Amino acid sequence: MLPAAEPRKIFDYPYEQHDFPNGLRLLTVPTDYPNIVALYIVVNVGSRNEVEAGKSGFAHFFEHVMFRGTKKNSPQKWDATMKAAGAATNAFTSDDLTAYHATFSKQGLASILELEADRFQNLDYSEAVFRTEALAVNGEYNKNSAAPTQKLHEKVRETAFDAHTYKHTTMGFLADIKAMPDQYAYSKQFFDRFYRPEYTTIVVVGDVKAAEVKALVEKFWGGWKRGAYAPEIPKEPVQAKERTAHVEWPSPTVPWLSVSYKTPAYSDTEKDTAALNLIAALAFGPTSPTYQRLVLQEQKVDVLSGGALQRVDPYLFTVLSRVKAEQDVEGVRESVIATLNGFKDTLVERKRLDAVKNNLRYRFAQSMNNSEAIAGALAYAVSLRRSPETLNRLYSLYEQITPEDLRDAARKYFVESGRTVVTLTGPKSK
Amino acid sequence: MKTIATYLLLMTATLPAMDVVAMPGQSPLIQFRFVFRTGAANDPPERPGTAAFTAAMLAGGGTKALPYQQVLDALYPMAAQVDAQVDKEMIVFSGTTHADNLEAYYTLLRDMLLTPGWREEDLKRIRDHQRNEVRLALRENNDEELGKEVLYSLAYAGHPYGHLTLGTLRSIDAMTMGELQAFYKAHLTQANLTIGIAGKYPAGFVERMKKDFSALPAGKASAVKLPPAAPLRETRVTIVQKKTRAVAFSMGYPIAVTRNHPDFPALLVANVWFGAHRSSGGNLYQRMREIRGLNYGDYSYIEYFPNGMFQFEPDPNHFRRSQIFQIWIRPVEPPTAHFALRLALFELGRLVDKGMTEAEFETTRDFLSLNVNLLMKTKSAELGYAIDSKAYGIPEYTTYIQSALKKLKYEDVQKAIRTHLRKDRLQVVAISDHAEELKKQLVADEPSPMRYNAPKPGDIVEEDKIVSTLKLGWKTEQITVVPVETVFQ
Repeated sequence: MLPAAEPRKIFDYPYEQHDFPNGLRLLTVPTDYPNIVALYIVVNVGSRNEVEAGKSGFAHFFEHVMFRGTKKNSPQKWDATMKAAGAATNAFTSDDLTAYHATFSKQGLASILELEADRFQNLDYSEAVFRTEALAVNGEYNKNSAAPTQKLHEKVRETAFDAHTYKHTTMGFLADIKAMPDQYAYSKQFFDRFYRPEYTTIVVVGDVKAAEVKALVEKFWGGWKRGAYAPEIPKEPVQAKERTAHVEWPSPTVPWLSVSYKTPAYSDTEKDTAALNLIAALAFGPTSPTYQRLVLQEQKVDVLSGGALQRVDPYLFTVLSRVKAEQDVEGVRESVIATLNGFKDTLVERKRLDAVKNNLRYRFAQSMNNSEAIAGALAYAVSLRRSPETLNRLYSLYEQITPEDLRDAARKYFVESGRTVVTLTGPKSK
Repeated sequence: MKTIATYLLLMTATLPAMDVVAMPGQSPLIQFRFVFRTGAANDPPERPGTAAFTAAMLAGGGTKALPYQQVLDALYPMAAQVDAQVDKEMIVFSGTTHADNLEAYYTLLRDMLLTPGWREEDLKRIRDHQRNEVRLALRENNDEELGKEVLYSLAYAGHPYGHLTLGTLRSIDAMTMGELQAFYKAHLTQANLTIGIAGKYPAGFVERMKKDFSALPAGKASAVKLPPAAPLRETRVTIVQKKTRAVAFSMGYPIAVTRNHPDFPALLVANVWFGAHRSSGGNLYQRMREIRGLNYGDYSYIEYFPNGMFQFEPDPNHFRRSQIFQIWIRPVEPPTAHFALRLALFELGRLVDKGMTEAEFETTRDFLSLNVNLLMKTKSAELGYAIDSKAYGIPEYTTYIQSALKKLKYEDVQKAIRTHLRKDRLQVVAISDHAEELKKQLVADEPSPMRYNAPKPGDIVEEDKIVSTLKLGWKTEQITVVPVETVFQ
């Protein structure tokens, strides 16, 4: 077992960080996993930036558009270059980031950095392909729509937020998705605003030498022009009282229950983020008394998880439960709330707190088992603070958290007026 | 007094029959894979789901010494778990531990597999879990995986592969502790076991595991006799009626090719070109999504690949002695369902009739010979693939594929396509809220023209004329509508 207080860095790979004059940042992490290179290009734009009405889901849609080619490299040529390096490629969008990634054989590094530099600087697509791509996004909404948790998630955001863009999911409101084919002109503006070096971090992990990577990035990305746009993200007003909502799911399902509280923005200097994450594990992790009672003994719930997702702006601490029978939903809701309230009065035992801290450390260490996973973890860090050091700072905060810190965080955030409860049930059985 | 010779003889006589795949390395993360060559194919005919339920009891229940709650308490500070994966012919228990915790983790893992607790409270909880896996995770919340599993059960009707690995709800409800214990005793044996380990484990550790696991019954190989899947005389369409927004399709048929078949590398090339999983480079994806925006993606397979919507690489240890060729069409808008199905069959027809060009062959071959390395991204995957290679009787997978690709000729791929793929006599599965309407459309076989939101190039307009009037020629008896409530019931 790791000694809980030992000040060792959670992200202990030696890495090089370089800032180019145009604002582009490069993070290179040489690893000893042979032959393979993982490249993540992270743009600090996500659904959080979608401040204009009718434009929800645009950051994600734009991620699709980025695959529609340039004058120099058609989508077919892009695919061919990636294929020649044996690459697996994809992209994803979340609240605070859009990331483009490729994992490939190291011989492909130069050609892929050149190829990617071209589309980030010279994207060029016709209105016809733009309109077709909008349909693929609609298809993505459709394939997601079979799962009730997707709808629940939409409802939680819609209910909990009034002004902030976290009100909508990354997919966006369905009406906005349906209107996407007509947004060609706006898409050009979107690219011009956000696909700029000061928003972008290139993460290269694997069988590479930092100096070579830097020279290649300088060559292909050095001439990229800095932009001038900074969005004004609306501030969410303080929630005045508890909110509730319900989703009627059209086909049979067991009930879902979501209990959320407003939380502060991610921080690696204040203790709140770390304290809330620890509470989530202590309160609803598999060794927590509530999990053991609801899942193992009474067996009323078969999925129980809690957590404060880390976001650039204030977001939510959410406890999600799948309740086996509808008549137990109310009791489970009470248990969830009582569990969190319990942290306000009773101090957590040191031993349990240490077990959770160990769990977090080992979980992180065990997830860093290949170059792609390391690059993925860094992409996430970049979305929050543009630096791997934020991981080290957060994990060092975990070590410092005391039972008193947990109590203080619980008193501050688990208040009724900050709560949002959403339930989802299927049709009443005949 | 025993002589050295008799001692050696005794050693040999008691030497466990189990197999070991050991990959010592420098990583402090130690990976375990305990693979048993048994699975749903060994379920008693009246109790589908026994193998899956048994494995779930071991990985998600207590040991003789510790109730499950205490197992969780012990695993938690190590951030460790024991995962079970069950398929037709393999059950895998896997896990990872940091070298710091090796002793504690291994002891738990060993006890979970060798001395399960068989407690009633675990049985009750796991029964709910297995039920929900069928009812919710599959039938009610995941149209695409549902379509694939219905396809598999139809393609193998009356065959040892012909039931859902999880079983039916009725069978899960009726399962008794005695039945689980009987399965455990009969099939989780030394004869069926391969132990896989990778990472920085201490000297002597492999021998220790072998000794520990010799506590399992010696047993004999569980592999059942595998008849060929019943041939189809004509296409069969099954439409599952379900409240849902869009229409998902899966279609295919059993093929003679598995990983150890001489045509596997050739067919792999053809399949990657036609429908590489979650890749924008596949032909089907290009024609259906990229050009026409019909849906989110379209892919094809020559090996079983569950959970494809959640992952980019397949999990290893889905060893099968029979595979199907499968096309997966992600959900399409209901008004375009008929056209989408026609287009998929049109593209399949083109693959079967014309194959690929020599240039396409060369690019795909070169791509695959590098891309295959990515499958071994993690040590755990490498270990899994090594165990599979032993089961198939082939060399290490990347070497096997790369050296086969070096020798592969364009004609080999064209021939493999002609030999193993066909464009008719398919099992087609659709999940739709408009099942009867879709059936009517399919039987009527009327044109299904496409309307787009943007002008299309002339060649696509011309091609659409052919696709939208493609005659499928299916009669009403070939198409069955099934309410979702009856599926895997």
